[in-house]
Amino acid sequence: MQSFGSRNVNCGNLTNSNNTITLNDNKAITVNKTDDEDNQIKQWLSTLEPRHRHQSVQANRVNGVGGWLLERGEFRGWRGSRGIEQAVLFCYGDPGVGKTHIRLVRKLSPPSRDR
Amino acid sequence: MERNISSLVIDWLCNQARDGDIAVGGLYCDYLAQEQQSATNILGAILKQLLERDGIPEHLRQIFRKEKRGFGGRAVQLLDLVEILKTALISLPKVFICIDGLDECIPKNRRELLESLRNIVQASPTTRVFLSGRPHVRDEVKRCFAEAVMIAVVPPIADIERYLKMRLDQDPTPSAMDGNLRVEIMRVVPRKISQM
Repeated sequence: MQSFGSRNVNCGNLTNSNNTITLNDNKAITVNKTDDEDNQIKQWLSTLEPRHRHQSVQANRVNGVGGWLLERGEFRGWRGSRGIEQAVLFCYGDPGVGKTHIRLVRKLSPPSRDR
Repeated sequence: MERNISSLVIDWLCNQARDGDIAVGGLYCDYLAQEQQSATNILGAILKQLLERDGIPEHLRQIFRKEKRGFGGRAVQLLDLVEILKTALISLPKVFICIDGLDECIPKNRRELLESLRNIVQASPTTRVFLSGRPHVRDEVKRCFAEAVMIAVVPPIADIERYLKMRLDQDPTPSAMDGNLRVEIMRVVPRKISQM
């Protein structure tokens, strides 16, 4: 599965793929410094690491569930659209759809970690 | 189920990203981590993901170095971050920003986040935003994006059955379950939910 973030398959890696490793010692030190600064900048931008969360949601996903959305005309239209008018797609769920559903199951079976 | 759908959309977009020139950044809001989920921290996390494609641009490096020189370094400010994002978007291909669980943010953060997104989208008309949340935040989304495409998540019965079957199969105490009860759950629950 493609890692979360960009088309760079290696995007989970914190090192900057633009830096090349060379045998020249001075050059190698510069590379390390840049990497260190890259990490500082990332930390400065945000302390959140959404990739971890995505991986756990992904792992608990049930195959086939939600596929209907990807086939919907509105979704396809939004995906291919340009301009501000259709920039946002908002999917909203009735509070009953997810939560009550799980509550009903919980009554009959012990609670699990899912909320 | 919305979370399921958000993760499906994110993966689908990431798969598309492999073939075409698009970049995806996304985040799941969580009511347990509300304090961390300021608009700044959320958008910063999105930006971090988008930058993984081409590395950190020089203009961002310069801003960071300047901010760091201040006393103890200054935390990034929302308005600055929005400007940095807008600049970064210019050099990126089509970008998809996905934010799940808007209702789990506190209202102040949600308002700032939506207003920032509007600001970003106005500057970058190819950027697409996928949002999900409970219906009560629908009006807030509408206020910022009057033309937003709205889709109600009403899972088809087949989806509910799949989900339920998975939950029953994962039952940690299967001894408490008998065949009749299972049949009854599979019969009653999907029908009840689809009637909601």
